[in-house]
Order: sequence, then C-alpha cells, then structure tokens
Amino acid sequence: MSKWVEQFNGRMDGWGRKLHEKEIRIPVDLVTGILFFALALIILLVMPDQVAISEKDVVNGRAFPTLLMVLMMLCCAMLVGKELYKLATKQPLNWKVINIQTEAKALVILGILAGTYFLSKLTGLFVVGAVFCCLGFLLYFRCRKKSYYVITLTVAVAIWAAFRFALNVDF
Amino acid sequence: MLEHMIPATGLLFTLENILWINIGVFIGSVFAAIPGLSVILCVILFLPVTYSMTAIPGMMFLLGIYCAGGYGGSVSAILINTPGTPHAAATMLDGHPLSEQGRTKAALKIALYASTFGGVFSALMLLFLGPQVAKIAAQLGTAEYFMVCVFGLTIIAGVSGKSMIKGLISACLGLLISCVGSDPMTSYDRFTFGIPRLYLGLDLAICLIGLFALVEIMAKAEKPLDRLNLDASQIKDDGVITKAEYKRMARPVLLSSIIGVLVGIIPGTGASEASWFSYNTAKNMSRHPEEFGHGSVEGIAAAESANNAVTGATLIPLLTLGIPGDGTVAIMLSALMINGLNPGLSLFTTQGDIMYAIMLGLILVNLFMCLQGKFLTTLFAKVVSIPQEILTPIIVIFCFAGAYSVNGNYFDVGVALIFGILAWVLRKLELPPVPILLGLVLGSMTETNFRRALLISNGNPSIFFSSVYCIIFLVLIVAAVGTIVRGKMNEKKASAQKEDEHHAQ
Repeated sequence: MSKWVEQFNGRMDGWGRKLHEKEIRIPVDLVTGILFFALALIILLVMPDQVAISEKDVVNGRAFPTLLMVLMMLCCAMLVGKELYKLATKQPLNWKVINIQTEAKALVILGILAGTYFLSKLTGLFVVGAVFCCLGFLLYFRCRKKSYYVITLTVAVAIWAAFRFALNVDF
Repeated sequence: MLEHMIPATGLLFTLENILWINIGVFIGSVFAAIPGLSVILCVILFLPVTYSMTAIPGMMFLLGIYCAGGYGGSVSAILINTPGTPHAAATMLDGHPLSEQGRTKAALKIALYASTFGGVFSALMLLFLGPQVAKIAAQLGTAEYFMVCVFGLTIIAGVSGKSMIKGLISACLGLLISCVGSDPMTSYDRFTFGIPRLYLGLDLAICLIGLFALVEIMAKAEKPLDRLNLDASQIKDDGVITKAEYKRMARPVLLSSIIGVLVGIIPGTGASEASWFSYNTAKNMSRHPEEFGHGSVEGIAAAESANNAVTGATLIPLLTLGIPGDGTVAIMLSALMINGLNPGLSLFTTQGDIMYAIMLGLILVNLFMCLQGKFLTTLFAKVVSIPQEILTPIIVIFCFAGAYSVNGNYFDVGVALIFGILAWVLRKLELPPVPILLGLVLGSMTETNFRRALLISNGNPSIFFSSVYCIIFLVLIVAAVGTIVRGKMNEKKASAQKEDEHHAQ
C-alpha cells in the first residue's frame, strides 16, 4: 500500500514539476476590460427578456441595472483605452502570470468541493459529503498522520450534529 | 438618551446575550490568532447562525467576533512573529522582540489591556456620537440617501484594490447581483432566467461564503502548507507590568484610541491604517523612540489600542447612514436589516431600546474580551499551531453547512460554489471582492432611493443636485476620488522610483 502511495506521489510530483514550468501571461487589464464590457453588453441585451416593466412607470425596474451597465461599460472602455494607449506609446502593459501547476491544484480543490456538494445532494446526507471532504483534503495535503484523520472526521461529524440537533437544520 | 438606557440594560443583561457574547469573543479570538484566517471570514461563516436569533443576541455574537478579532491577531504576532490579522503587523514590531526578551506574557497583557481600553473608548464614542450623527441623517431625503450610498461605494471601490476603475467595475457587479430577484418597488422578477428559486434574490450570506470563504480554500493551491510551530513553554514569565510601564503606556493608549476613532469613522479606512498611523505617532512623541522595534511597551500599546478603537467608530456611519466602514461591518448591516432594523434616526428613537442595548453591549463585549484574554491566552496560543490539514476541511464543512442552513436546500450550496469559482476568476483578473460585498449590501437601498428620488422629480435627474446635502456629498465624492487617484499615482511613482533605484544598484 505504502509503495503504491509512494509511486502515486512520485508520479504527481513529476507532473507537478512539468506543469510548474508552464506559465501563461495575460494582459490582465485589457482582458478584464474586454470581458466585462462584453458582460455589460449581454446584460443590456437580455434586459428586455429578463426585466418585466409596466408602461405606466416613470422609473421602471430597468433604469437602475441599465445605469450600472452603462457605468461598467464606461469603466471598461477607460481600462481598455489606457492599455491601448500604453501599447501605442510602447509602455509596458499590466501582465498577469498564471502558473499552470497552481491552476491545476486549484482545479483539484474545486473537484473536492464539487464532490462534497454532489455527494451531499445525491445521498441527501450532509454527513456523507462532510466525510468525503475531510478525506479529500487530507489526501490532497498528503497527510500521513492517522491522528489527523481521526480528529478531522470527528470534528466533521460534530459540526453536522451541532447543525442538525442544536440548530435544527434538517440534513 | 437616558429614557432608552434603562430598558436597554434590561434587554442586554440576559443569560442568552452573555452566553453569545462569550461564544463570539472566543471564536473571534481563535480565528484571529490563526494566521491565514481572517475576521471577515469568521463573521461570514457564522452569519447564518444568527439568522435564527433576534437582533440583540445576533449582534452581540457578531460584535464579539469582530472586537475579539482586533485583539486575537496580536497573539500570533507576539508569539511567532506572524500577524494573525493584517492590522496586528504593527504590534508584531515590538511584541515579538519583547517576547524574545522573555516577557511573552507581559507583551500579551499589554496588548490585551490596550485593546480593551481602545474598544471601550470607541464604544463610548459610538454611544455619544451615534445619536447626534443620526439627527443629521434624519434630515436627508431619498436623493441625499442615494448620494450617501454613491459616496460609500466610491470610497470603498477606490481604496480596495490597486486600480479605482477596477474597484468601480466590482462595485457595479455587486450592485447588479443585488438586482437579481423581485423588483423592490414593483415585485416583478428580474434576472431570474426562469429559475424559481431566484425569485427571492440571492442571500447575502450565501454569496459571501463563495466570494470570501471558498475562494480562500481554493487559494491553498497558491502556496505550500505553512508550518507554525509554537513552543508553548515560552509563555512562562510572570507577566508583570511595572508602574513605570503603565505610566509610559497611558499617553500613547489615549492618543491612539482617539486616532483609531477618527480613522474608523471614515469609510474605507480600517484597523490597519489606524494601527500604523498610531504606531508612528507614538514613536514620534515618545521620549524613548530608540526602543521602538526592540520591544517597546508604548509601541505595542499604541498599535493595539488603535486597532480596537476602530471597532465602535466604524459602527457610527453604519448605524446612522447605512455606510459600512469596512467589509466586516457591512455584513453586520445585513444582520441588522434581517431583523427589521434599518439605519437612520428611527433606529435611535422608535427602536432605541434595542439600539442602545447593542451599543452598551459593545462595552460589555470588550470587558469579556479582557476576561477571556486574561484567562484563556495560553489556549489561544496553542490554537495558533493547528495544522492546515485539519483546518481546511473543517472550514469547508462550515461553509457548506452554513449555506445549506439559510434556506434548507442544496441549491444555495451550489450558488455558494458558483460564487467561489467567480471569486477565483475575479482574483485572477485582479478585481477586488470588497466592493462587490458593499454593492450586495447597499444594492437595494441604493436602487430604492434612486428610483424614489426620480419618481418625486418626475424623472428629472437634477434632483440629485438640488439640495445643500446633495451638493455636500457631491463635493465629498469628487474630493475623495481626487485624493484616491492622487494617492494611487504617488504610489505608482514611488514604486517606479524604487524599481529604478533597484536596477541602478
């Protein structure tokens, strides 16, 4: 068993080393500006379908979200304009380095979170998801101390019991 | 004021309230003592617990967490030279050196007493200034209230991240999310995309669990595990503070408490700014400035009293105008509003008994913080070294249980998870999350006042520039934007200069 774990960890370390060297650089302000400009535009486009109004209203339910989206588009235009000016005058842009290894690890954590959610939802038993969550994170951290497993699982069950019996949350 | 005080004490001094204060203080101290866990995270995790409580015990519990968080951060700062909270960084400069001199207990005691004084001073300021500010707030109409909301949002958006434009984008996003659900004035549904569960809107606690708590869990991918090994045997000194030391502490503690209150009243500034500003002031005014950085009792006292003096002061704009001074009190605003307590003069008149009970409770919170700190510091110190492997899944379980408990369904847990992913993307795009929080909290109030003002003026936007208060707030907004933009430009220049010097070397 321990040999298998060693092999597995070794393989993970190998992948980790390879991924650690891989990086993506994004012009973060430019991307943010374009992304949120598009979001604001989409919201404005879906607004007639999503926000019902009465013709009699002087100020209807679309006024405030429209104002927000126009403001957001203005901010995005300023952000993009600033970056384009930098590009034209050959000044350095604001770059963000995204490390693939970090993102892969974040995806694994997201997987554990999603697993906890789906297990709890599908079984209807929150405690099942909680146990999966504990085991998932302890394995993610490569924890070998048995005492940590016992403590974490005990606390997980205790939290479930506190919510179930003390706060009357039915799960 | 006095007519509310007597019934307020009756409402406050119940076994239930005392119990919740102590639970809050204990949890807040523990969370703040652990580096990597923040007070805001703690308040978010325990916010759903308050949903089943009435206003006073709920607020006492949250205030217990908030105030104890101010002190708890100093424990790890003194013991292991790592501040548990960002505002304990100034305490660390003298706290840890004093601990290394074999006076760990004394350093912890100085921090505790200074924190208590700062907290009580701040609570008294809230008690006396709050009703006066509320009287001014009572003169504000819908247009003025809209300007107040814009003022609060602009400041928070400006100071929350590196770029003010990005802060504004975040604030717009928060306000947009607050629009999901039924229209506050007509009850027509908005942005529900045919999902029936969205008709009632998105619950604040659920959004915050994703935005602030789950994203911190995902951030574990960014750094290796911290190993904080604490040698508990280092807390073995007698902890005696001499008369001469008490005398030396008196002036910086009082001055820093005043600074803390003044800083706390200004929205967007917080405990970190107050503690650094007070630390520098105390150093400049001290007869022994050479001791600063080498275990000065004045340094610890100044930083700690200032960061706790912020706690009551941030509640002044919150309770009177509805402007949260920082992210943590913004969450408390929602806890108040759930119980039908809306900021403004009515809070101090028609609901005066409850309000005064909460304000008096803040004094009680600080006194219990002092008691717990005195007898449980060794326990808080041991908590510092709880391994991340154990803490991480426990926080996740708390997040999910909290999200589920709000409405008793897994849909909300899914929403929290989606907000966690959204927060991760926003982090990559360097968009600050605090303006989103403020947008979520102030969204309904901002929109309602905006639309009511336009209804009164028959759609004419000149109403927003029609009164003296509107003009005052407009000038304040312009001044704040100007100051923030100038500050950011100076910061950029300074960092560019440093970089040039670094290259030259």
